[in-house]
Amino acid sequence: MADVGDLLGVTDSDKAALLGLYEEKRANLVRFFAARLGSRAEAEDLVQDLYIRISGMDSLGPVDNPSALLHRIGSNLMLDRLRSQKRSGTRDSDWRSVNTTVVAGHEVADEPAADEVVASRQRLKALVEAVEDLPEKTRQAFQLHKLEGHSHMETARRMGISVSTVEKHISSALKTLTRRLR
Amino acid sequence: MSRSAQHLQEAADWLTRLQRPEVEETDWLAFDAWLNEPGAQEAYDAIQAVDEEIFQRGAAVRGELAEPKRAAAKRAFQIDWRWLGGLGAAGAAAAVALVVAPWGELLPASDTLYTTAKGENRAIALADGSHIDLNTDSHLSVRLEKDARRVTVHDGQALFDVAHDQARPFLITAGDETVRVVGTKFDVRRRDGQLTVTVLRGLVEVSTDGDDTPVRLRPGQMLEHVEGASGVTVRKVAAEDQVGWRSGRLIYRDEPLGRIVGDMNHYFDRPLRLEGENTANLRFSGVLIVDGQDAMVRRLTSLMPISATPSDDSIVLRGRPSAPN
Repeated sequence: MADVGDLLGVTDSDKAALLGLYEEKRANLVRFFAARLGSRAEAEDLVQDLYIRISGMDSLGPVDNPSALLHRIGSNLMLDRLRSQKRSGTRDSDWRSVNTTVVAGHEVADEPAADEVVASRQRLKALVEAVEDLPEKTRQAFQLHKLEGHSHMETARRMGISVSTVEKHISSALKTLTRRLR
Repeated sequence: MSRSAQHLQEAADWLTRLQRPEVEETDWLAFDAWLNEPGAQEAYDAIQAVDEEIFQRGAAVRGELAEPKRAAAKRAFQIDWRWLGGLGAAGAAAAVALVVAPWGELLPASDTLYTTAKGENRAIALADGSHIDLNTDSHLSVRLEKDARRVTVHDGQALFDVAHDQARPFLITAGDETVRVVGTKFDVRRRDGQLTVTVLRGLVEVSTDGDDTPVRLRPGQMLEHVEGASGVTVRKVAAEDQVGWRSGRLIYRDEPLGRIVGDMNHYFDRPLRLEGENTANLRFSGVLIVDGQDAMVRRLTSLMPISATPSDDSIVLRGRPSAPN
Protein backbone atom coordinates (compact mmCIF):
# COMPACT_ATOMS: atom_id res chain seq x y z
CA MET A 1 0.00 0.00 0.00
CA ALA A 2 2.95 2.27 0.55
CA ASP A 3 3.48 2.31 -3.22
CA VAL A 4 -0.04 3.51 -3.90
CA GLY A 5 0.47 6.17 -1.26
CA ASP A 6 3.64 7.33 -3.00
CA LEU A 7 1.80 7.61 -6.29
CA LEU A 8 -0.78 9.83 -4.68
CA GLY A 9 1.95 11.91 -3.18
CA VAL A 10 1.06 10.93 0.34
CA THR A 11 2.96 8.88 2.84
CA ASP A 12 2.54 8.51 6.54
CA SER A 13 5.75 10.40 7.03
CA ASP A 14 4.43 13.35 4.97
CA LYS A 15 1.43 13.51 7.21
CA ALA A 16 3.49 13.09 10.36
CA ALA A 17 5.71 15.95 9.20
CA LEU A 18 2.71 18.17 8.53
CA LEU A 19 1.20 17.37 11.92
CA GLY A 20 4.57 18.11 13.51
CA LEU A 21 4.69 21.47 11.76
CA TYR A 22 1.12 22.10 12.87
CA GLU A 23 2.12 21.66 16.51
CA GLU A 24 4.96 24.10 15.99
CA LYS A 25 2.80 26.72 14.24
CA ARG A 26 -0.36 26.19 16.22
CA ALA A 27 -0.08 29.28 18.47
CA ASN A 28 0.77 31.55 15.54
CA LEU A 29 -2.07 30.16 13.44
CA VAL A 30 -4.41 31.05 16.30
CA ARG A 31 -2.96 34.57 16.31
CA PHE A 32 -3.41 34.87 12.58
CA PHE A 33 -7.04 33.76 12.55
CA ALA A 34 -7.88 35.74 15.69
CA ALA A 35 -7.22 38.89 13.65
CA ARG A 36 -9.37 37.64 10.80
CA LEU A 37 -12.28 36.47 12.97
CA GLY A 38 -12.12 39.14 15.67
CA SER A 39 -12.14 36.42 18.32
CA ARG A 40 -9.38 34.34 19.84
CA ALA A 41 -11.85 31.69 20.98
CA GLU A 42 -13.21 31.35 17.43
CA ALA A 43 -9.66 31.09 16.15
CA GLU A 44 -8.80 28.37 18.68
CA ASP A 45 -11.83 26.49 17.49
CA LEU A 46 -10.90 26.88 13.86
CA VAL A 47 -7.32 25.76 14.42
CA GLN A 48 -8.64 22.71 16.25
CA ASP A 49 -10.77 21.93 13.19
CA LEU A 50 -7.66 22.32 11.11
CA TYR A 51 -5.99 19.55 13.11
CA ILE A 52 -8.96 17.27 12.58
CA ARG A 53 -8.95 18.04 8.89
CA ILE A 54 -5.26 17.25 8.47
CA SER A 55 -5.46 14.04 10.52
CA GLY A 56 -8.26 12.79 8.34
CA MET A 57 -6.63 13.58 5.01
CA ASP A 58 -5.99 10.68 2.61
CA SER A 59 -4.18 12.62 -0.03
CA LEU A 60 -1.89 15.56 0.45
CA GLY A 61 -0.69 16.05 -3.09
CA PRO A 62 2.80 17.39 -3.59
CA VAL A 63 3.65 19.78 -0.78
CA ASP A 64 6.40 22.23 -1.55
CA ASN A 65 5.56 24.60 1.30
CA PRO A 66 3.84 22.88 4.22
CA SER A 67 3.43 26.07 6.23
CA ALA A 68 1.60 27.69 3.31
CA LEU A 69 -0.58 24.59 3.09
CA LEU A 70 -1.60 24.99 6.74
CA HIS A 71 -2.62 28.55 5.94
CA ARG A 72 -4.56 27.50 2.86
CA ILE A 73 -6.56 24.76 4.57
CA GLY A 74 -7.21 27.04 7.55
CA SER A 75 -8.42 29.85 5.28
CA ASN A 76 -10.80 27.50 3.49
CA LEU A 77 -12.17 26.33 6.82
CA MET A 78 -12.63 29.96 7.82
CA LEU A 79 -14.56 30.78 4.67
CA ASP A 80 -16.81 27.76 5.22
CA ARG A 81 -17.42 28.98 8.72
CA LEU A 82 -18.21 32.55 7.72
CA ARG A 83 -20.57 31.30 5.07
CA SER A 84 -22.57 29.09 7.39
CA GLN A 85 -22.38 31.39 10.36
CA LYS A 86 -23.86 34.83 10.27
CA ARG A 87 -22.13 37.82 11.74
CA SER A 88 -24.15 37.81 14.94
CA GLY A 89 -23.46 34.15 15.52
CA THR A 90 -19.73 34.64 15.20
CA ARG A 91 -19.70 37.57 17.51
CA ASP A 92 -21.75 35.99 20.24
CA SER A 93 -20.33 32.52 20.35
CA ASP A 94 -18.32 33.31 23.48
CA TRP A 95 -21.31 34.64 25.26
CA ARG A 96 -23.26 31.64 24.15
CA SER A 97 -20.88 28.96 25.33
CA VAL A 98 -20.46 30.66 28.68
CA ASN A 99 -24.14 31.27 29.30
CA THR A 100 -25.93 28.32 27.76
CA THR A 101 -26.70 26.91 31.18
CA VAL A 102 -28.88 29.93 31.75
CA VAL A 103 -31.41 28.37 29.46
CA ALA A 104 -31.99 25.53 31.90
CA GLY A 105 -33.54 27.98 34.37
CA HIS A 106 -37.13 29.01 33.96
CA GLU A 107 -36.48 32.51 35.15
CA VAL A 108 -34.21 35.02 33.52
CA ALA A 109 -31.14 34.39 35.59
CA ASP A 110 -28.27 35.82 33.61
CA GLU A 111 -27.71 38.91 35.70
CA PRO A 112 -24.00 39.21 36.33
CA ALA A 113 -22.82 39.97 39.85
CA ALA A 114 -23.02 43.62 40.82
CA ASP A 115 -19.25 44.04 41.13
CA GLU A 116 -18.80 42.58 37.64
CA VAL A 117 -21.27 45.09 36.29
CA VAL A 118 -19.35 47.91 37.93
CA ALA A 119 -16.01 46.62 36.62
CA SER A 120 -17.48 46.23 33.17
CA ARG A 121 -18.87 49.77 33.20
CA GLN A 122 -15.57 51.19 34.38
CA ARG A 123 -13.78 49.33 31.63
CA LEU A 124 -16.24 50.66 29.05
CA LYS A 125 -15.75 54.19 30.38
CA ALA A 126 -11.97 53.84 30.09
CA LEU A 127 -12.37 52.54 26.55
CA VAL A 128 -14.64 55.40 25.54
CA GLU A 129 -12.34 58.01 27.08
CA ALA A 130 -9.35 56.54 25.30
CA VAL A 131 -11.23 56.72 21.99
CA GLU A 132 -12.31 60.29 22.65
CA ASP A 133 -8.71 61.32 23.33
CA LEU A 134 -7.46 60.07 19.97
CA PRO A 135 -6.41 62.75 17.46
CA GLU A 136 -9.40 63.85 15.38
CA LYS A 137 -8.60 62.09 12.08
CA THR A 138 -7.46 58.95 13.86
CA ARG A 139 -10.63 58.86 15.92
CA GLN A 140 -12.74 59.36 12.82
CA ALA A 141 -11.05 56.51 10.93
CA PHE A 142 -11.23 54.30 14.01
CA GLN A 143 -14.91 55.00 14.47
CA LEU A 144 -15.85 54.37 10.85
CA HIS A 145 -13.89 51.13 10.63
CA LYS A 146 -13.98 49.59 14.09
CA LEU A 147 -17.27 50.85 15.47
CA GLU A 148 -19.40 51.18 12.35
CA GLY A 149 -17.92 48.26 10.48
CA HIS A 150 -16.91 49.98 7.25
CA SER A 151 -14.07 48.43 5.26
CA HIS A 152 -10.72 50.18 5.01
CA MET A 153 -11.68 51.20 1.49
CA GLU A 154 -15.10 52.59 2.40
CA THR A 155 -13.56 54.47 5.34
CA ALA A 156 -11.01 55.97 2.95
CA ARG A 157 -13.76 57.02 0.56
CA ARG A 158 -15.78 58.70 3.30
CA MET A 159 -12.79 60.56 4.69
CA GLY A 160 -11.35 61.42 1.31
CA ILE A 161 -7.95 59.92 2.12
CA SER A 162 -6.01 56.91 0.84
CA VAL A 163 -6.50 53.36 2.10
CA SER A 164 -2.94 53.22 3.38
CA THR A 165 -3.51 56.40 5.40
CA VAL A 166 -6.65 54.84 6.86
CA GLU A 167 -4.62 51.80 7.87
CA LYS A 168 -2.03 54.02 9.51
CA HIS A 169 -4.73 55.75 11.53
CA ILE A 170 -6.33 52.46 12.58
CA SER A 171 -3.01 50.95 13.54
CA SER A 172 -1.99 54.02 15.50
CA ALA A 173 -5.35 54.02 17.30
CA LEU A 174 -4.91 50.36 18.28
CA LYS A 175 -1.45 51.02 19.63
CA THR A 176 -2.59 54.04 21.66
CA LEU A 177 -5.63 52.22 23.07
CA THR A 178 -3.59 49.16 23.98
CA ARG A 179 -1.00 51.23 25.82
CA ARG A 180 -3.70 52.97 27.79
CA LEU A 181 -5.90 50.01 28.54
CA ARG A 182 -3.70 47.06 29.25
CA MET B 1 10.25 55.17 20.45
CA SER B 2 11.03 52.66 23.17
CA ARG B 3 11.48 49.05 22.23
CA SER B 4 8.14 47.97 23.60
CA ALA B 5 6.38 50.88 21.91
CA GLN B 6 8.10 49.87 18.69
CA HIS B 7 6.81 46.32 19.10
CA LEU B 8 3.28 47.51 19.83
CA GLN B 9 3.31 49.63 16.69
CA GLU B 10 4.53 46.73 14.59
CA ALA B 11 1.95 44.44 16.16
CA ALA B 12 -0.82 46.94 15.43
CA ASP B 13 0.44 47.26 11.85
CA TRP B 14 0.30 43.50 11.48
CA LEU B 15 -3.17 43.15 12.91
CA THR B 16 -4.44 45.89 10.61
CA ARG B 17 -2.81 44.25 7.61
CA LEU B 18 -4.36 40.89 8.50
CA GLN B 19 -7.78 42.51 8.56
CA ARG B 20 -7.69 43.57 4.94
CA PRO B 21 -10.34 41.84 2.87
CA GLU B 22 -7.70 39.92 0.90
CA VAL B 23 -4.91 38.26 2.79
CA GLU B 24 -2.36 36.13 0.95
CA GLU B 25 -0.27 33.13 1.82
CA THR B 26 2.78 35.39 1.83
CA ASP B 27 1.17 37.52 4.55
CA TRP B 28 0.89 34.47 6.76
CA LEU B 29 4.50 33.42 6.11
CA ALA B 30 5.83 36.90 6.87
CA PHE B 31 3.61 37.24 9.94
CA ASP B 32 4.79 33.87 11.24
CA ALA B 33 8.39 34.95 10.73
CA TRP B 34 7.85 38.30 12.46
CA LEU B 35 6.40 36.54 15.52
CA ASN B 36 9.81 34.94 16.08
CA GLU B 37 11.28 38.28 17.08
CA PRO B 38 11.67 38.63 20.83
CA GLY B 39 8.74 40.52 22.35
CA ALA B 40 6.61 40.26 19.20
CA GLN B 41 4.18 37.64 20.51
CA GLU B 42 3.43 39.51 23.73
CA ALA B 43 2.92 42.77 21.86
CA TYR B 44 0.65 41.15 19.30
CA ASP B 45 -1.42 39.36 21.95
CA ALA B 46 -1.96 42.64 23.79
CA ILE B 47 -3.04 44.42 20.60
CA GLN B 48 -5.30 41.59 19.53
CA ALA B 49 -7.01 41.42 22.93
CA VAL B 50 -7.88 45.12 22.77
CA ASP B 51 -9.03 44.78 19.16
CA GLU B 52 -11.29 41.90 20.17
CA GLU B 53 -12.70 43.86 23.07
CA ILE B 54 -13.52 46.74 20.75
CA PHE B 55 -15.15 44.32 18.33
CA GLN B 56 -17.25 42.79 21.09
CA ARG B 57 -18.25 46.08 22.69
CA GLY B 58 -18.40 48.23 19.58
CA ALA B 59 -22.09 49.03 19.94
CA ALA B 60 -21.69 50.06 23.58
CA VAL B 61 -18.70 52.27 22.79
CA ARG B 62 -20.59 53.80 19.89
CA GLY B 63 -23.53 54.53 22.17
CA GLU B 64 -21.35 56.24 24.75
CA LEU B 65 -19.58 58.33 22.13
CA ALA B 66 -22.95 59.70 21.05
CA GLU B 67 -23.55 61.09 24.55
CA PRO B 68 -23.29 64.82 23.71
CA LYS B 69 -26.00 64.44 21.09
CA ARG B 70 -28.25 62.87 23.67
CA ALA B 71 -27.68 65.66 26.12
CA ALA B 72 -28.77 68.13 23.47
CA ALA B 73 -31.94 66.16 22.83
CA LYS B 74 -32.79 66.17 26.52
CA ARG B 75 -32.37 69.91 26.80
CA ALA B 76 -34.70 70.34 23.87
CA PHE B 77 -37.44 68.58 25.74
CA GLN B 78 -39.55 71.62 26.45
CA ILE B 79 -42.46 70.39 24.51
CA ASP B 80 -45.27 72.11 22.95
CA TRP B 81 -47.50 70.38 20.52
CA ARG B 82 -47.06 72.48 17.45
CA TRP B 83 -45.77 69.47 15.58
CA LEU B 84 -49.29 68.12 15.61
CA GLY B 85 -50.18 70.97 13.31
CA GLY B 86 -47.78 69.85 10.65
CA LEU B 87 -44.23 69.15 9.72
CA GLY B 88 -43.04 72.73 10.04
CA ALA B 89 -42.41 72.61 13.75
CA ALA B 90 -39.26 70.55 13.66
CA GLY B 91 -37.63 72.41 16.50
CA ALA B 92 -40.58 72.15 18.80
CA ALA B 93 -40.95 68.45 19.31
CA ALA B 94 -38.44 66.67 21.44
CA ALA B 95 -38.10 62.97 21.56
CA VAL B 96 -40.66 60.97 19.67
CA ALA B 97 -44.14 61.59 18.52
CA LEU B 98 -46.29 58.95 17.02
CA VAL B 99 -49.33 59.62 14.93
CA VAL B 100 -51.60 57.59 12.75
CA ALA B 101 -50.96 58.86 9.27
CA PRO B 102 -50.28 57.12 5.99
CA TRP B 103 -47.08 59.03 5.19
CA GLY B 104 -45.34 55.85 4.27
CA GLU B 105 -47.55 55.35 1.28
CA LEU B 106 -46.52 58.73 -0.09
CA LEU B 107 -42.82 58.00 -0.13
CA PRO B 108 -41.23 57.85 -3.55
CA ALA B 109 -40.06 54.43 -4.62
CA SER B 110 -36.41 55.41 -4.86
CA ASP B 111 -35.55 54.78 -1.23
CA THR B 112 -32.55 52.72 -0.25
CA LEU B 113 -33.86 49.34 0.79
CA TYR B 114 -32.15 47.42 3.59
CA THR B 115 -32.98 43.78 4.05
CA THR B 116 -31.83 40.94 6.25
CA ALA B 117 -32.21 37.25 5.49
CA LYS B 118 -33.39 34.76 8.07
CA GLY B 119 -30.78 34.47 10.78
CA GLU B 120 -28.96 37.64 9.73
CA ASN B 121 -28.37 40.87 11.65
CA ARG B 122 -27.22 44.09 10.09
CA ALA B 123 -25.84 47.35 11.43
CA ILE B 124 -26.62 50.37 9.28
CA ALA B 125 -24.80 53.65 9.75
CA LEU B 126 -26.66 56.49 8.09
CA ALA B 127 -24.86 59.49 6.67
CA ASP B 128 -26.53 61.79 9.26
CA GLY B 129 -24.85 59.90 12.14
CA SER B 130 -27.88 57.83 13.08
CA HIS B 131 -27.58 54.10 13.50
CA ILE B 132 -30.05 51.35 12.78
CA ASP B 133 -29.58 47.74 13.86
CA LEU B 134 -31.76 45.51 11.77
CA ASN B 135 -32.96 42.20 13.20
CA THR B 136 -33.45 38.96 11.30
CA ASP B 137 -35.84 38.73 8.34
CA SER B 138 -36.54 42.46 8.29
CA HIS B 139 -37.05 45.04 5.59
CA LEU B 140 -36.86 48.79 5.82
CA SER B 141 -36.12 51.65 3.50
CA VAL B 142 -34.38 54.92 4.13
CA ARG B 143 -34.50 58.23 2.37
CA LEU B 144 -32.45 61.18 3.55
CA GLU B 145 -33.91 64.39 2.25
CA LYS B 146 -32.93 67.98 2.78
CA ASP B 147 -35.75 68.69 5.20
CA ALA B 148 -36.50 65.25 6.60
CA ARG B 149 -35.06 61.83 7.23
CA ARG B 150 -37.59 59.17 6.34
CA VAL B 151 -37.59 55.50 7.25
CA THR B 152 -40.27 52.96 6.45
CA VAL B 153 -40.40 49.71 8.38
CA HIS B 154 -42.01 47.32 5.93
CA ASP B 155 -41.69 44.31 8.18
CA GLY B 156 -39.50 43.20 11.04
CA GLN B 157 -37.65 44.78 13.91
CA ALA B 158 -35.05 47.49 14.22
CA LEU B 159 -33.28 49.43 16.93
CA PHE B 160 -32.87 53.11 16.15
CA ASP B 161 -30.27 55.39 17.62
CA VAL B 162 -31.06 58.72 16.08
CA ALA B 163 -28.65 61.61 15.77
CA HIS B 164 -30.11 64.91 16.86
CA ASP B 165 -30.84 67.27 13.99
CA GLN B 166 -33.48 69.89 14.60
CA ALA B 167 -33.62 70.94 11.00
CA ARG B 168 -34.39 67.48 9.72
CA PRO B 169 -36.98 65.47 11.66
CA PHE B 170 -36.54 61.73 11.64
CA LEU B 171 -39.77 60.12 10.56
CA ILE B 172 -40.43 56.42 10.83
CA THR B 173 -43.48 54.90 9.26
CA ALA B 174 -44.58 51.47 10.40
CA GLY B 175 -47.92 50.37 9.06
CA ASP B 176 -50.55 52.95 9.91
CA GLU B 177 -48.43 54.80 12.43
CA THR B 178 -45.62 57.25 12.14
CA VAL B 179 -42.93 57.77 14.73
CA ARG B 180 -41.32 61.16 14.85
CA VAL B 181 -37.93 61.45 16.43
CA VAL B 182 -35.49 64.04 17.61
CA GLY B 183 -32.52 62.12 18.96
CA THR B 184 -33.27 59.13 21.12
CA LYS B 185 -32.96 55.37 21.16
CA PHE B 186 -35.77 52.93 20.80
CA ASP B 187 -36.86 49.67 19.24
CA VAL B 188 -39.59 49.35 16.62
CA ARG B 189 -41.12 46.00 15.84
CA ARG B 190 -43.70 45.33 13.17
CA ARG B 191 -44.73 41.72 12.81
CA ASP B 192 -48.00 40.16 11.77
CA GLY B 193 -50.00 43.36 12.01
CA GLN B 194 -48.71 44.20 15.49
CA LEU B 195 -46.59 47.21 16.18
CA THR B 196 -44.55 47.80 19.33
CA VAL B 197 -42.30 50.70 20.24
CA THR B 198 -39.95 50.29 23.21
CA VAL B 199 -37.95 53.23 24.52
CA LEU B 200 -34.42 52.73 25.81
CA ARG B 201 -33.36 56.35 26.10
CA GLY B 202 -34.98 59.75 25.81
CA LEU B 203 -38.65 60.56 25.98
CA VAL B 204 -41.38 59.58 23.60
CA GLU B 205 -44.64 61.32 23.00
CA VAL B 206 -47.36 59.36 21.31
CA SER B 207 -50.44 60.68 19.65
CA THR B 208 -52.98 58.61 17.83
CA ASP B 209 -55.21 60.10 15.21
CA GLY B 210 -58.64 60.84 16.65
CA ASP B 211 -57.38 60.90 20.20
CA ASP B 212 -56.19 64.28 21.37
CA THR B 213 -54.59 63.11 24.59
CA PRO B 214 -50.96 62.31 23.97
CA VAL B 215 -49.26 59.49 25.82
CA ARG B 216 -45.81 60.03 27.21
CA LEU B 217 -43.45 57.05 27.04
CA ARG B 218 -40.37 56.87 29.20
CA PRO B 219 -37.44 54.49 29.02
CA GLY B 220 -38.66 51.05 30.03
CA GLN B 221 -42.13 51.55 28.63
CA MET B 222 -43.51 49.78 25.62
CA LEU B 223 -46.34 50.87 23.40
CA GLU B 224 -48.41 48.26 21.61
CA HIS B 225 -50.76 48.81 18.74
CA VAL B 226 -52.72 46.53 16.44
CA GLU B 227 -52.68 47.85 12.89
CA GLY B 228 -56.07 49.06 11.77
CA ALA B 229 -57.41 49.24 15.32
CA SER B 230 -57.76 52.49 17.19
CA GLY B 231 -55.89 53.11 20.37
CA VAL B 232 -52.73 51.86 21.95
CA THR B 233 -51.71 50.19 25.19
CA VAL B 234 -48.66 51.04 27.21
CA ARG B 235 -46.96 48.79 29.71
CA LYS B 236 -43.76 48.63 31.67
CA VAL B 237 -41.14 46.24 30.32
CA ALA B 238 -37.49 45.48 30.83
CA ALA B 239 -36.44 47.44 27.76
CA GLU B 240 -33.18 45.54 27.40
CA ASP B 241 -35.21 42.34 26.97
CA GLN B 242 -36.76 43.77 23.85
CA VAL B 243 -33.38 44.26 22.25
CA GLY B 244 -31.82 40.97 23.38
CA TRP B 245 -31.95 40.00 19.70
CA ARG B 246 -28.95 42.25 19.09
CA SER B 247 -26.79 39.84 21.05
CA GLY B 248 -28.43 36.69 19.75
CA ARG B 249 -30.87 36.23 22.59
CA LEU B 250 -34.63 36.09 22.77
CA ILE B 251 -35.80 37.04 26.25
CA TYR B 252 -39.29 36.26 27.49
CA ARG B 253 -41.20 36.91 30.67
CA ASP B 254 -44.40 34.93 30.77
CA GLU B 255 -45.05 35.00 27.02
CA PRO B 256 -47.26 32.52 25.14
CA LEU B 257 -45.55 29.82 23.09
CA GLY B 258 -47.31 31.20 20.00
CA ARG B 259 -45.26 34.38 20.25
CA ILE B 260 -41.99 32.50 20.71
CA VAL B 261 -42.68 30.25 17.74
CA GLY B 262 -43.54 33.34 15.70
CA ASP B 263 -40.20 34.89 16.60
CA MET B 264 -38.22 31.72 15.91
CA ASN B 265 -39.81 31.33 12.51
CA HIS B 266 -38.16 34.56 11.46
CA TYR B 267 -34.76 32.96 11.98
CA PHE B 268 -35.10 29.64 10.18
CA ASP B 269 -36.49 28.44 6.87
CA ARG B 270 -38.14 25.31 8.22
CA PRO B 271 -41.24 26.52 10.07
CA LEU B 272 -42.33 25.43 13.52
CA ARG B 273 -46.01 24.57 13.67
CA LEU B 274 -48.23 24.31 16.73
CA GLU B 275 -50.75 21.54 17.17
CA GLY B 276 -53.10 20.75 20.03
CA GLU B 277 -55.74 22.87 21.62
CA ASN B 278 -53.87 24.98 24.12
CA THR B 279 -50.34 24.58 22.86
CA ALA B 280 -50.07 28.16 21.61
CA ASN B 281 -51.10 29.52 25.01
CA LEU B 282 -48.54 27.69 27.12
CA ARG B 283 -46.43 30.27 28.92
CA PHE B 284 -42.67 30.61 28.88
CA SER B 285 -40.16 32.68 30.83
CA GLY B 286 -36.47 32.56 30.11
CA VAL B 287 -33.68 33.29 27.71
CA LEU B 288 -33.39 31.49 24.40
CA ILE B 289 -30.01 31.63 22.76
CA VAL B 290 -30.40 31.89 19.01
CA ASP B 291 -28.15 29.24 17.52
CA GLY B 292 -29.30 26.16 15.63
CA GLN B 293 -32.99 25.47 15.16
CA ASP B 294 -32.74 21.89 16.42
CA ALA B 295 -30.83 22.99 19.52
CA MET B 296 -33.40 25.71 20.26
CA VAL B 297 -36.29 23.28 19.88
CA ARG B 298 -34.53 20.78 22.11
CA ARG B 299 -34.17 23.37 24.85
CA LEU B 300 -37.78 24.45 24.51
CA THR B 301 -39.00 20.87 24.86
CA SER B 302 -36.88 20.40 27.97
CA LEU B 303 -38.21 23.59 29.54
CA MET B 304 -41.86 23.28 28.60
CA PRO B 305 -44.42 20.46 28.62
CA ILE B 306 -44.26 20.03 24.86
CA SER B 307 -42.96 17.46 22.42
CA ALA B 308 -41.42 18.10 19.01
CA THR B 309 -41.92 15.98 15.90
CA PRO B 310 -39.73 16.93 12.97
CA SER B 311 -40.84 16.26 9.43
CA ASP B 312 -39.26 17.23 6.13
CA ASP B 313 -40.86 20.60 5.81
CA SER B 314 -41.68 21.59 9.38
CA ILE B 315 -41.33 20.80 13.06
CA VAL B 316 -44.57 20.17 14.91
CA LEU B 317 -44.80 21.22 18.56
CA ARG B 318 -47.56 19.73 20.65
CA GLY B 319 -48.48 20.04 24.32
CA ARG B 320 -47.79 16.85 26.25
CA PRO B 321 -51.24 15.58 27.31
CA SER B 322 -50.28 14.32 30.76
CA ALA B 323 -48.30 17.40 31.67
CA PRO B 324 -49.80 19.81 34.16
CA ASN B 325 -50.32 23.04 32.34
